Parts: sequence; structure tokens; C-alpha cells
Amino acid sequence: MNGQQTTEFRWHGRGGQGAVTSAEMIALAAIEEGKFAQAFPSFGPERRGAPVLAFNRVHDSIPIKIRSGVTNPDVVVVLDPGLLTIIDVMAGLKENGVLVINSPKSLSELKKDYSGPWNLAVVDATKIARKELGVPIVNTTMLGAVVKAVGIIKLESLNGPIKEHFGARAPSNITAAREAYEQTQIAPPVKTMPKRVEVLEVLPSWQEILPGCVVTSPGSAKQYRTGDWRSKYTDFDYSRCIKCGLCYIFCPEGCIEQRPDGYFESNKYYCKGCGICATECPKEVISMIEEAS
Amino acid sequence: MNTTVTVTKRLVNSFEQLAPGHRACLGCGEALAVRLVGKALGQNVIIVSATGCMEIISSQYPFTSWEVPWIHTLFENASAVASGIEAGIRALSRKGEFNEKTKVVAMGGDGATSDIGLQALSGALERRHNFIYICYDNEAYMNTGVQRSSATPYGASTTTSPASKITIGQTTWKKNMPAIVAAHDVPYVATACASYPFDLMSKVQKAMNVDGPSYIHILSVCPTGWRSSTESVIGLGRLAVRTGIFPLYEIEDGRYKLNMQMDKLHPVEEYLKQQGRFRHLSPEVIASIQTRVNADYAKLKEKATRS
Ligand SMILES: Cc1ncc(C[n+]2csc(CCOP(=O)(O)OP(=O)(O)O)c2C)c(N)n1
Repeated sequence: MNGQQTTEFRWHGRGGQGAVTSAEMIALAAIEEGKFAQAFPSFGPERRGAPVLAFNRVHDSIPIKIRSGVTNPDVVVVLDPGLLTIIDVMAGLKENGVLVINSPKSLSELKKDYSGPWNLAVVDATKIARKELGVPIVNTTMLGAVVKAVGIIKLESLNGPIKEHFGARAPSNITAAREAYEQTQIAPPVKTMPKRVEVLEVLPSWQEILPGCVVTSPGSAKQYRTGDWRSKYTDFDYSRCIKCGLCYIFCPEGCIEQRPDGYFESNKYYCKGCGICATECPKEVISMIEEAS
Repeated sequence: MNTTVTVTKRLVNSFEQLAPGHRACLGCGEALAVRLVGKALGQNVIIVSATGCMEIISSQYPFTSWEVPWIHTLFENASAVASGIEAGIRALSRKGEFNEKTKVVAMGGDGATSDIGLQALSGALERRHNFIYICYDNEAYMNTGVQRSSATPYGASTTTSPASKITIGQTTWKKNMPAIVAAHDVPYVATACASYPFDLMSKVQKAMNVDGPSYIHILSVCPTGWRSSTESVIGLGRLAVRTGIFPLYEIEDGRYKLNMQMDKLHPVEEYLKQQGRFRHLSPEVIASIQTRVNADYAKLKEKATRS
């Protein structure tokens, strides 16, 4: 990639994971080098845990006037490996672009599903973040991987923006980014396209919608699979369960259901993985397990 | 026919008024409160929602999470819309064109209730419409990204009352909304919290049976805005109650009744220290909050004894 054309980035994260901050850091680092850059998020009604997008544009020498979202990115960054199976992250990705993925899986494992006419870069940012920051928040760690894979911004240029933003927590974040830079593995483009995720949500056309914003089908938003937001899932060990139902009553989703045998279980289509049921269960029946593991 | 689920030996309506698939943050205490209120209200209601988190997360056009009739128009006018619907029901009943016992329920966040919608609410209370108003109080304008409201507690850092070297964040004390409503001489006012689900549901059922205006103020833990962990939502609500920061009580025909007699309050620090919005508070400020909470709780107890 070179800086003579506008390089466009699309970040895939979840609300609360800091994708917007990542994009900001990239833009500030580019500006620090005298380049022109922009960073902005894409807002929907979605909340913490829901898939979100953020964008960057970077150019060496020309101010960037376009303000729309990025649909044909040169660079796609995936902060959360759980998104790979629910969102077509490769949509619109340009030939010879870069797909940067955070995953505990190795490059050779991921190649089968995610190699295409683009460079594929992989790093286990979650592991690095846990080690350096003590939390699995990967937005700054992934900056190192992105800088390495894209090659138009220097790693050192991130230091200033990270210091400015994170204050006392900057040194560990800078270390994490450096480690990711060193550990990122990259495979070159291949000719074949990988299999793509089918996105299921079906929206009615305008001809099918009533005037006046009237909605006539109660509970129709049940089609939303909010389970896709989850980074931890519930695991029930019924040997200790006394069927008290406290998990059921305290669930903000209303997604814990009673089975005919009286035990409760959470509906994975909706469960966002907040962990309330696990905390409130008096018999410690429920544990929260990391999705990716 | 309603089916039920048995929860700790008590029967709970299995009806989910707010269907799963809504887009609230994970661990949303407000969505949980709405869900519990829905169980108590049942199906024969019309809900009027002010603008705010609960409207946004449940009504992404052209879909809805609501299993009952629901309407949203503006941020400030939920009580006015509810007044109109209730008056409409009365008119149609008088003409014999409607003979259901449908309850009108207005709902809003703390911003919608204690700031921008206060005038419409006051009017509806004063005109004595037969409706329930429910305030889901998450102590800031959360939908637009955590701006302070008059219900934001003293010392909380929000985006418009940010804590810094020169200020502790919010420098005013939480507006006493239940007392303002009670000053309208309405038949029933109560406070509740989803951490006490049976207490909450029984209060909503009481309000259903009131002929006239009633008001329920529900403290709703917001992990996103309070910067607390999602799994501790219920525990934080319990602490708000046990510290006396958010006591559970009812005001029936002007008579105060405490629902939980607490001889000794938990120290407020236990509650404050679990939340990022209070993390900056010095021991002196925490002590002043403790003094104020003790005094407020003593006043409330006094009112309950006199009643
Ligand atoms: C007249 C008007 N002003 C401002 C807004 C923008 N707005 C939408 S929701 C909201 C905040 C709602 O806060 P609150 O009532 O406390 O409910 P919450 O979202 O916290 O549940 C604001 C300011 C609006 N919709 N209408």
C-alpha cells in the first residue's frame, strides 16, 4: 500500500471494545506524520456488545473531502474473532488490500476461510492484551498489527496519540501495540475467493411499509439475533440446580426459558452474555465461558 | 389465559411484554425493569413511551419489541399523550363503543420525567387522569451518551458534569421526584428497583388497581453510564437500597410506608466504589454524601412513623 492514494479503513468491533478509539489513534498518528486523515464511527441504535463499525481515510498529501462511510475498504480490521462468523467482514474489500484479524488461531488455520485476493494478517491480540493490560480489550494492541500489515504509518507515530489519550495507562498500551507489531503474521493474496457469511436480516421494502410509522406485528423485533453480541456464554451444571428460577427473573433479555423438566436454560439466539444469571444463581449452577475458547 | 413460572415458590406471569431481541446494552437494568413491569401489567394496557433508551432499543422501524399497543411521539410529552388516550378511552366508553378495562401507562427516563417532561406530567397528575407513570431512573441522559440530569446523584461524573481537578462532577443533589409527585396529592406513589422483583411487581399491580394517577419511580442500574460491571447489576441495586441511597417506600393517600425497615444502613462507600462514575471521590466527599444520606433517610423514617 502507498500513501499516494487515499487508503480507506473499516474497523469491525463491538460497542464498548474501542474500535472508535482505534480509528482515532490511526488518524492522529497519520496526522503526526504530516499526512491528512479522518476517523469516524458509524452509529446505529445498537449498544454495548453489538457489532459496530468505525472508519479511517489517510492520504499522504491531499486533504480528504469525502465524508461518507467506507464501503470499498483497502483495509479491514476485525477486533473480535466472534464477528467473523456473523458478519461478512470481507464485503467490498479491495484487491491487494489487507484483512487484519485478531484471533487465537494460527495464520495457516485461518488461511482456509479468510484468504482471498488480499493480504491476510493475524495476531492473537487478546492474549497480548491480557498479558500487558490485564484485560481482553484489544483496540490499542491491534494498532500494532494494523501498522505492520498496512505499512503506511510508523509504529512510533502511535506513541504521541496513545500518551495523550491514555495518560498513565499509555506505557502498557504502547508495549502491547509493539508486541502485536512483532507477532503479526501475514500471508500474501491468493486468486480464489473464500466462502462468505450470509447475512440473514430481512428488511421489508418501502412498498410494504404502512404510512405513519405504524407497525402492526407485535414483537416482530424478535428476529434480531442479539446472541451475536455475546463474548461469553452461559454453561448450566444442573447437578446443583434447585429450579428456583432466579436466573429467569433477573434476565434483562427475557431469554431464560423453563424446560418441560423444570430446569432453566438460556436461549443462545438472544443471550448477550451479561453474566447476571451466573452472579445471582444461589447454587453456582451457571458459569460464563469465553466464546472464542 | 396467562401461564406462570414459579420463581422461589412465587408465581410469576410468563408473559414477556418486551420481547427478546431488543437492543439494550448487555446487562441493562432498565430493560430488566421494563420486563418485570410488563409481567405485572399484563396484556390489557396501552404504553406511551417518551424518547430515550427504552424507546430506541425497542422500536427499530419497521419492527417492534412490544407485545402490547405502544406509542412514541416526543421526548417531553409522554404524559400529555397518555392523557389524551385516557380521555379518549373514557369518551368511547361513555358512548358504549369501548368496554375494556384498559390501563394507560406512560413511561420515561429520568431526563424525560424530572426535566423535560415534568410540566406534562404535572398537568396529567393535576387533571387526575387514570394512568400510571413509570420513571425508569438510570440517573442521566443515557440514550444520548451520559449527560447529567436533575436526577444524577451528587459527585457523579457524566459527560456534561465531568470530574476534574477543580470539580467533583455533579455538584447538585438528586431531585426528589417521588416527593414532587406526592405533592400533587395522587393516590399512589412508590419507589422500586429490579433487584427486588417481587416488591416491584406488586407495586405495579397496586398501581393497576388505583382509579386515578399513580407513579412508580424505578432505580435502573446502567452499567454503561455508571461504568460498572454488567454481572453486578442486581447487587448494585441492592446496595443502593441497603445504603439508604435509594430506599424502597410507598406513599398511599399521602401516608408514607417504608418497605424495608433498616436499622443500620450499609456505608455508602460500598456502593460508590463499584462504579467508575464515582471513582474520583475523596474520603471527604464520600463522608458528606454519607451525612446527607443519613439525614434524608432519617427524614423519610420520620415521615413513615408519623403517617
Ligand atoms: C426535545 C428533544 N431534546 C433532545 C432530544 C435528544 N434526546 C433523545 S433521548 C435523550 C436522553 C433521554 O434520557 P432519559 O430521559 O434520562 O432516558 P434514558 O435514555 O436515560 O433511558 C435525549 C437528550 C430529543 N429527542 N428531543
